[in-house]
Amino acid sequence: MAEISEPSKPPQLDSGTSEAGLSQFAFDPKTMRNTKPGFKRLILTISVFSSFLLGLPFLWKSVEIYRSPLPFRDIDALSSHIESSPLQFPCTFRVIFVGFDSMASRAEQLKSSILDEMIKLSSKSSLCGSCSNNYAVSVVIESGSDCSQTRSDASSCSWRCGALSASDFAASLENGLHSADDFLEVALGGCSKSASGGRVYSVVVMNRGENVEATIGKYRHGWIVGRVSEAEAISKVAETFVKLLGNGGREEGLIPGEFMPVGADGKIFLSFNLLNADPDDWIYDWDFQTVDEVLLKPLIKELSPIANVSVESQVLYHTPTSSFSYWDNKQESYIFSTKDLPFFVNSNEWHLDTSIAAGGRSKILHFVVYIPSARECPLLLQLPDGQISETNGFISPMWGGVIVWNPKGCLRDRESKQHHRHMISYPELEKIVEVFLGQFRQLFGLKSNPQHVGLSGTFNILTSEKGFTEWEMDFLSRQHSCFNLHSCASSLGSLSRLVQSLPRMIIIDEIGKQVKYSLEAATLAQKNASVGVFDAAAISSRQARSLAEDAFFHPSIMSVSYFSFEHCFAVYSPFFLPVALHLAHSLIMLGLCGHQHIQMSIEQCPLW
Amino acid sequence: MYQFYTSKMVLPLILILGLAYLGDSMAYASPSETTTHTNNWAVLVCTSRYWFNYRHMANTLSLYRTVKRLGIPDERIILMLADDIACNPRNKYPAEVFNNENHKINLYGDNVEVDYRGYEVTVENLLRVLTGRHEVAVPRSKRLLSDEGSHILLYMTGHGGDEFLKFQDSEELQSHDLADAVKQMKEKHRFKELLIMVDTCQAATLFNQLHSPGVLAIGSSKKGENSYSHHLDPDVGVSVVDRFTYYTLAFFERLNMYDNTSLISLGKA
Repeated sequence: MAEISEPSKPPQLDSGTSEAGLSQFAFDPKTMRNTKPGFKRLILTISVFSSFLLGLPFLWKSVEIYRSPLPFRDIDALSSHIESSPLQFPCTFRVIFVGFDSMASRAEQLKSSILDEMIKLSSKSSLCGSCSNNYAVSVVIESGSDCSQTRSDASSCSWRCGALSASDFAASLENGLHSADDFLEVALGGCSKSASGGRVYSVVVMNRGENVEATIGKYRHGWIVGRVSEAEAISKVAETFVKLLGNGGREEGLIPGEFMPVGADGKIFLSFNLLNADPDDWIYDWDFQTVDEVLLKPLIKELSPIANVSVESQVLYHTPTSSFSYWDNKQESYIFSTKDLPFFVNSNEWHLDTSIAAGGRSKILHFVVYIPSARECPLLLQLPDGQISETNGFISPMWGGVIVWNPKGCLRDRESKQHHRHMISYPELEKIVEVFLGQFRQLFGLKSNPQHVGLSGTFNILTSEKGFTEWEMDFLSRQHSCFNLHSCASSLGSLSRLVQSLPRMIIIDEIGKQVKYSLEAATLAQKNASVGVFDAAAISSRQARSLAEDAFFHPSIMSVSYFSFEHCFAVYSPFFLPVALHLAHSLIMLGLCGHQHIQMSIEQCPLW
Repeated sequence: MYQFYTSKMVLPLILILGLAYLGDSMAYASPSETTTHTNNWAVLVCTSRYWFNYRHMANTLSLYRTVKRLGIPDERIILMLADDIACNPRNKYPAEVFNNENHKINLYGDNVEVDYRGYEVTVENLLRVLTGRHEVAVPRSKRLLSDEGSHILLYMTGHGGDEFLKFQDSEELQSHDLADAVKQMKEKHRFKELLIMVDTCQAATLFNQLHSPGVLAIGSSKKGENSYSHHLDPDVGVSVVDRFTYYTLAFFERLNMYDNTSLISLGKA
């Protein structure tokens, strides 16, 4: 470089100095170059610099932070689409009038009045997960051999005249509501089962007998039997469609997040616990294997669209409650009231959360069968109105339920302590599971009353031995699809905000894939919803939610999100600072002093 | 059947958020009204180790004992503790830890479930607990499985300074790390109300970047202030409790599980 190869002063001047040492190093005029450095030196400097420049992209590439491209635009589109238009499902309804000879030719007119009534009943703001207000209703009037029906669009299931015989239906009604339900299922069959969005909800109105009775079966239909006027029939039919079959008998729309009984990964663990408060008094055991196989399997199968349910069970000992009860002479039993419930579950002694199979984002619902000790047996729950609870149990939303089970004759047995083990008999277990089913339904927001009191009268509601009726499952599928899609959109939205706010965060390909699949599943769910395939929509929306959660909670995001700029500076500066300083210096000198001044002495250049 | 609509575990401390001014601390909050309170959680962190930091472990174990006594079950308490005191060769009382020279309460009695022990107490693990980003294999008992109706207590004690809290002399939690984690928790609806209590020097500086709604933060000292220990136990040979924690505990000791006391009374205490 300039300062090294060129001596600062002509050597001749040095001869004047008296220092011997210097003269020893004096340049030999023969070998000394006497031309001023020119372009050669400039080229050398620039080539060193440009090789450095050429290396920069490689360096940049090697320290670059890998960020898998996320489809931010698609995420925003999904969020805004779900916000702007709540997920709604097309529902098809059909009314079959039997034995109304007077209305034979007025099917179209009936249809429009039922539609008006339904629109009146349905809420103004469109609820997410409900049937869309654009109801498809068809009316069939069967009178003897004659039958008329409204024109139906090709997609809906067409009615075969004479498919429902009034006399056969009347006969089945004699055998009880359940047989009538099964009869209708066969008679109306086909339509309610078809997979391609052709789920038709039907109501049969039959003019027969005196008392008007409205019933909703355990499939996808109901019936109204009795001497009904046309107006009454219309209002009852409309309420059945809108409030019950369409909205599950509930008023609320979207499930609040803190009351969602299905875990973020779409799984529920049902943990059944048999608690012997004091094993010194008595020990009870149960044959849970049979309960699981006979009573719970159908329920789990039924719920498969909305949740992946697993069952676990355990028997625990020495599990007293932390609430107090008092002796009631009239009831001849110990009483605990509803205000004691917050302290009933003794979380320090009841070690319920012992599942090793359940993952971090699964939901565990605890169901506890509590067997009181001899000190407080029989133990009964008193309701706020002074009544004794029939089920002797209670639920805690998101946690599960408790059933207090008093051994028979425990009041007598308390003196004669029998230490051997007892088994809870199968009929008793069936009763316990029945109460559990009620609690489980309640955790899902469904009522278990045998009757629904509506605006236009009372409706009988049949229960299914599987726990959930078909129309209830449809309703749950719709609601959960909606919840899942909302949750998916909000998780992905949060992730996209997080990723965009941290530009130095590594995003591995797995996250990118999860986001992509989540968006695909969400799109599929919306597509399924729009054609009315409820359970497929629930399944794919569940996948979308679970994948979105996986992406947001991906453990790799953690390690780098707290990676500050100062950290980066501190890591790289020791490597580059020494080289960069010299390079920058020579460049600045080159720039400031210019190559025409390079000949100048070092002292003359202002920077040296 | 009777439907019962609050959590089974009722921490009597009802967190009344708003502008509860608490002595020497800063408070910031805005309650979210729409969600229902479902459950209570506690994350208790002792960020020190070694014998001379006895008091920090005693602080944390006292808080652990208190929240458990007041109804938060073990599966909802995440306890992070170096846990090298009880069985330390210098401990005159093996397997016992006290927070008072009167030795009335053995904090290391029964059922102390330490979730993160020894060298597992790291900034990364704390932030993983808060944000919920765990490896798949991490068991449920080590996770903060709160939901949008949860009330969470985050208690931390150790040695700190301006906008940082030291973790076991090897790393530090900075105020922006904490704020970032809280922001992400809020974003993902992991709590309804969050109470942060920190007993360390210049504790309030740790909350400087905290702007999420629904959070109330109490620190033992302001910027430039120190947090001192309360008293020395001549028998054990070291200080056994810090002042801030000592007086907080004195307040909680008067309560039982059935009390309905609010946080305002803690401020007055």
